[in-house]
Amino acid sequence: MKTRTGLAFLAPALILFGVFVLYPMLTAFSYAFFEWQGTSRQGFAGLSNFSALVNRAPFKTDLPTALLHNVLFFVGTMLVQNTIGLSVATLLHRRARTRRMLQTLYAMPYLVSPIVIGYLWTLLLSPTFGPVNQLLTKIGLEQFALPWLGDPKTALWVVILVSVWQWVGFPVLLYGAALGGVPEELTEAARVDGASHGQVFRKITFPLLIPAIGTVSVLTFIFAMEAFALPFAFGGSTGNPAGSTDFVSLLFYRSAFDSGAVDAIGTSSALATVLFLIIFGGAMAATKVLRRHERRMAS
Amino acid sequence: MTTTLTAADAAPTGLETSGASGASGRRPRRRRGSSASDPVGGVGASILLWGYAVLALAPLVIMVLNSFRTNADFITNPLGLPTSPTVAAYKEAWTVGSFGTYFVNSLAVTAGAVAISTAVSTMAAYGLARSRARIFRWIESLFLSGLMLPIHLAILPVFFLFDGFGLIDSRLGLALMYAAAGVPFSIFVLTTFFRQLPEELEEAAVLDGASPWQTFWRIMVPMVRPALATVAVFRFVPIWNDFLYPLVLLRSESKYTLPVGLTNFFGENATNYSALFAGLVITTIPLIVLFLFATKQIVAGLTAGMSK
Amino acid sequence: MTQRTRRSTFTLIAFTGVLAVAACAPSSDNDTKGSGDGGDAKATTLTVWSWRVEDEAAYNKIFDAYEAKHEGITVEFKPFKATEYNKVLATGLAGSDGPDVPQVRSYGQVEPTIASKSLVPLDGKVDLSGWDENVVNSAKSKADGKLYSVPLARQTVQMFYNKGLFEKNGISEAPKTWADFTAAGDKLLAGGVTPIAVGAKDDWTLPIVHEVLAAPRFGGAAFQEEVLTGKKSFTDPNFVASIDVFKQLAKYFPKNVTGVAVTDAQTLFSAEKAAMFPGGSFDMAVLKKANPKIDLGVFEVPAPTGSPEDKATTPGWADGNFAVNAKSPNQEAALELVKWMSTKEFGQMVADEVKQISAVPGVTYNDPLLKQMADNYEKSPSPYLLLTDFRYGTPSGTDLMGKGAQQLLLGSKTAEQVAADIDTGVKAWFKPSS
Repeated sequence: MKTRTGLAFLAPALILFGVFVLYPMLTAFSYAFFEWQGTSRQGFAGLSNFSALVNRAPFKTDLPTALLHNVLFFVGTMLVQNTIGLSVATLLHRRARTRRMLQTLYAMPYLVSPIVIGYLWTLLLSPTFGPVNQLLTKIGLEQFALPWLGDPKTALWVVILVSVWQWVGFPVLLYGAALGGVPEELTEAARVDGASHGQVFRKITFPLLIPAIGTVSVLTFIFAMEAFALPFAFGGSTGNPAGSTDFVSLLFYRSAFDSGAVDAIGTSSALATVLFLIIFGGAMAATKVLRRHERRMAS
Repeated sequence: MTTTLTAADAAPTGLETSGASGASGRRPRRRRGSSASDPVGGVGASILLWGYAVLALAPLVIMVLNSFRTNADFITNPLGLPTSPTVAAYKEAWTVGSFGTYFVNSLAVTAGAVAISTAVSTMAAYGLARSRARIFRWIESLFLSGLMLPIHLAILPVFFLFDGFGLIDSRLGLALMYAAAGVPFSIFVLTTFFRQLPEELEEAAVLDGASPWQTFWRIMVPMVRPALATVAVFRFVPIWNDFLYPLVLLRSESKYTLPVGLTNFFGENATNYSALFAGLVITTIPLIVLFLFATKQIVAGLTAGMSK
Repeated sequence: MTQRTRRSTFTLIAFTGVLAVAACAPSSDNDTKGSGDGGDAKATTLTVWSWRVEDEAAYNKIFDAYEAKHEGITVEFKPFKATEYNKVLATGLAGSDGPDVPQVRSYGQVEPTIASKSLVPLDGKVDLSGWDENVVNSAKSKADGKLYSVPLARQTVQMFYNKGLFEKNGISEAPKTWADFTAAGDKLLAGGVTPIAVGAKDDWTLPIVHEVLAAPRFGGAAFQEEVLTGKKSFTDPNFVASIDVFKQLAKYFPKNVTGVAVTDAQTLFSAEKAAMFPGGSFDMAVLKKANPKIDLGVFEVPAPTGSPEDKATTPGWADGNFAVNAKSPNQEAALELVKWMSTKEFGQMVADEVKQISAVPGVTYNDPLLKQMADNYEKSPSPYLLLTDFRYGTPSGTDLMGKGAQQLLLGSKTAEQVAADIDTGVKAWFKPSS
């Protein structure tokens, strides 16, 4: 295609994206370099807003914790969501009649807004009225009737698991499609040669799924680093209890608009900038690893 | 820009579309007898799969059931069954909460945004997939970096921009905002699809004298239909559920979308749980309907890909 | 070569586009639109913004009364979702068609709005003489000492209790001494009732619970004076002891209290499974509505043993203040409305319709409970210290106390450690006067 034709095809998207996303976002980043009095911009501040993130409370203490939670959210989601997604996709692979029905059902929680999801699960897991603990007690597992969302040791994992529960429909769909792309001649030949189901999966199917897993990983990384709606619905803007479900976006939320600090816009914009750089760096690193792996596969 | 994330590397490679019709996807199912085509895991796995389906559906079921109960009933037993079902809550939500108006607004804004965003993204994705000049790799990286922009953190500049354009309290403005926010993701998915289509198709069209636009519209777009459905649904849901942008960018109540109406309704009826659930059901039903239709499209496309 | 030319042309076009956008981005303060009716005094519409969605009907009634007396003025009340209100307000006031009369936050949380120069100073225009000082402070900027809003309501915190459940468990009256209080707790425990319904999963409730249970323990208003002038800090033994009250009373809270949401705690109380609920005057309506059959009472928790002064108090603060938008094209009319909000007429309507304790002195209350709360505050006021004086920066005193109290209840920190955290936290921005 000629360059000019190509640009013509690109122009509408570029204009829309440039005006409504790129421009405001760049402006937001630029805010980080100024001093602020409420919403009115003052003089150039250099990097002082960024150094505040390292030197000043609450960022000094809360940012590392929040970031750690984002990373745990990512790792946890990756492990659980990929395991479930891959197993379910494998199990569904040959169930032609029920596959689509089940795939659709698994994706249903995605349709419900995170606020409602948070509300419903809080209700279900409540230590006072929640049916989950009532059930556990009834079947003699009282030692597992924990205050789920009330204990810092379990609260973060509840958030992660509910998030997986909400999103697992996608990996199921994606991996299902990827499994469909694995040439059957290959797996069947291996089976004829006496390889077990497990061996076929490890040696043939799994390596072919790596690009799909890579895609899911990169998207999950971005999603995990920006996590906001579900943690907010569960633990409010402060990451209850005791900051155990705090995330970077929550820290932004409460320092940008909920604090009495008159310079809030400067510091919170610096926070947004740092968050973007982390996501950008992480996604690029992940892509690099994937690319190297693909090259190794190809050669 | 070799280090930048590009759709080619990290794209849903599984979403292959051979362009074959859904019908051809049914062929493999007829093969019987080979142990390899038996369902993995047998009956135990079936129980597990259906058990999980129940868990996935639970919140929707709870929502629907509670919307048919009276409020007093709900407060005494939050997770009970509707012993004497009533639709009073729906009447209240629809009339008192003026959900009718919000519903139309939501539909217009969401459908408009998804249509605009999908249209411009399809064109852009095609342009990116079929151009070789270096600048296109730059532009592609720019779009993809948009995937990582936490745009909800830029609410203040967005507001100033809209204020400058005179787009405050405009449903069109809101739709444009959503459309723009959806461009990176849509391009991310669609570029991959276009890259997987063989170029011979277009070469043939060009030999027949078709213009680039004709080639795109008549030949390429029909072939990525499942991808379009995927993109549209994935974008539709978050826009439909969002309440931050309408709250900040709209002023007149007559222009409010459902989630904003819902949050106001929540505030006024904080203790009227059954009406809240009715409101939620009204908000969620369109998504379910859309989803049921669209998965047919998506899965049909995927199945077609699998049957190769 | 041509390739490069094209590219630079393209870049140029893109740049021009961005510049064009940039040029019109910062709101050019042309207030022409929306003020078309500004010149005609006969028909002015004033927009009032608020986060009290639940009070819309009450406010409409109140403003109807105002409209009836002020010909040509229409007041439009627009409430927004409370959790997003700060964003809506910050953007709305910065833009060109914000509200004429916004409801603004109180004490430290209004400082960013004032610093934006979004509000009109009201000194010499509104007369708040004779008002409670603690209330008036909510409307003043600590930066320049000027008055920027008119307080709407006084919120008080105290212990709500179920009189029926008290009697059933052999407690004839509200406790008068700390010993009475703990004895009542023991009796209720023995009777299988949760004595105090605390929802410690929601951290914001814990500073309130702290005030209800232990304000006299750290010394209320006297301590406020000392800590603001730098004579004392939050590591003061009395303040540490006040935090430790959580630990002493934890056995009276629901099991796994950090997992109990405030709505759960209210439900425990409404379902008569708990006998007491430490809460604000703003909780009264919710509690009454949830179970009208409960014979609801309130009392001031007696001063804990060892308090500097053995006197129970009712901690309070002001909120819901209304101000005038500096960009309003109808400033005069807006000022008139805000002035009216400082009158007894308005205050009385707030008491009767919104059912809150009005900030205006001398208002009477039909509701006996509301009256008791207002009287208690009148008689023995103390400031809700962490809110009235320690929300002028981030991290706020209330956030620190919320998190700290959770850590204390979870056993991960001691009262000393929590107090030290609060002390270092607020020192990030707090400078004692003197």
